[in-house]
Amino acid sequence: MILFVILLVLVVIAQVVEFFIPPVAWMFNAHVYIVPVIVFYGAAALPFPLMLGLSFFAGFLLDILTVQVIGAKVEIALGWSILLYAVLAAIMHGLRPLFIRGRWEAHCILTGVCTSLILLAQYLMIAFRRGSLVFNREVWWQIGGPGLLAMLMAPLLFFILHFIGRATAYSYVVDRNRFE
Amino acid sequence: MGEGGLEAHATTMNRTSVIALVIFVAVVGYLVSFNTDATRNLQAAVYQMLSPFLSTGSGLQKQITSVRTGLKSLEDLERENQGLRVENRALRATNQALRDVEHEVNRLRGALAYRERSAFKLVPAEVVTRDSSTWWRTVTINRGKDDKIEPDMPVVTDEGVIGKTTTVSKNISVVLLVSDENCKVAASVEGTREQGIVSGERVGGGMTPALNLNYLSKQANLQPGQKAVTSGVGGVFPVGLSVGTVRNFKVRELDGQAQLIPAVDLAKLEDVFVVTGRK
Repeated sequence: MILFVILLVLVVIAQVVEFFIPPVAWMFNAHVYIVPVIVFYGAAALPFPLMLGLSFFAGFLLDILTVQVIGAKVEIALGWSILLYAVLAAIMHGLRPLFIRGRWEAHCILTGVCTSLILLAQYLMIAFRRGSLVFNREVWWQIGGPGLLAMLMAPLLFFILHFIGRATAYSYVVDRNRFE
Repeated sequence: MGEGGLEAHATTMNRTSVIALVIFVAVVGYLVSFNTDATRNLQAAVYQMLSPFLSTGSGLQKQITSVRTGLKSLEDLERENQGLRVENRALRATNQALRDVEHEVNRLRGALAYRERSAFKLVPAEVVTRDSSTWWRTVTINRGKDDKIEPDMPVVTDEGVIGKTTTVSKNISVVLLVSDENCKVAASVEGTREQGIVSGERVGGGMTPALNLNYLSKQANLQPGQKAVTSGVGGVFPVGLSVGTVRNFKVRELDGQAQLIPAVDLAKLEDVFVVTGRK
């Protein structure tokens, strides 16, 4: 439970920090996303109900801080990012036994893929709303770039979060016994 | 744990998970049903809660940036020095010519201060964060409802239009930049009768993207350098604010389209004004 609360706090901090990280110019101004890495770590480390709670919180923050209300329309209704996070986190959660055994490779790769999937889903929703679907090199970089960066960040962040988990006496092993 | 115990535990866990899932779906369903106003209010409340962190972060970022820009390499300094020498010679030449103009400017400046000269009530604001998401081009400013700012108010600098407010909380507001595809500005081209709608591009161009002036007549034949200003149609942006300069013009199947260079460098926004009304 302590780890869950820490992850919630880290999600808020990461969300605020993301505001101040400039886009990566050589990646066609792809943005750096830290929150998904924390959420997907939580998805692998926490039990299902807490994983849902973390996804809810992160999705809610993402929606509320980035989605634009323009005139009388909201392009992505509040709640969609929560669903996206929950579905992807559930996939990650399914690979939890591997994670508990210390095999993080799949989770690190999936973190990148899932980050890009969130952006792809957002883009498709926007494109549907705006009535035209454009896929050029820049769009692909805006979708794939953050995923690539998340994938690169994942091992380090996972290591730090795992260290925090251990420091708070969060028992991954006990969890394994419960679920397997 | 025995087999029976495990089974009982698994059932308990499943039950907890199912209950969590049901609650999750119910709350998400409730959020999805929010209308525009409710979403805007909730968004404003969250921004308000985070505003101290955003302001602190902005201050820190400025300090870090100033330290970083202060540390220049020798090569940079040499290049800068050479540039300054050339600039100095050019400035000496123009200085003489400007003396007459200076006299006139001083006379006018005394009579017309910027805010007096402006026909609008302007609220000065500072940019706190910029371009925080992938699909929308926005900045947040440190003014809100306390300063009588409301959604859909134009935001300008002395160089021209930069966008309009969308979500407004007590002392922080989100500004949708003119370079966003969703920020439509009715504009006309100086010296012609051409009118159209300016909007940004969905992706591309980074923080200094081109703007598109759409729905012009095919015969418009605009030339590079012509200025586009707000036409006042639509009610959000008042007439006569500079939007950009024509870069090129092309004829499409149904209309003409001009590409504009924004009047304001959107990558270097620091101090802006919110137009709260006419004087």
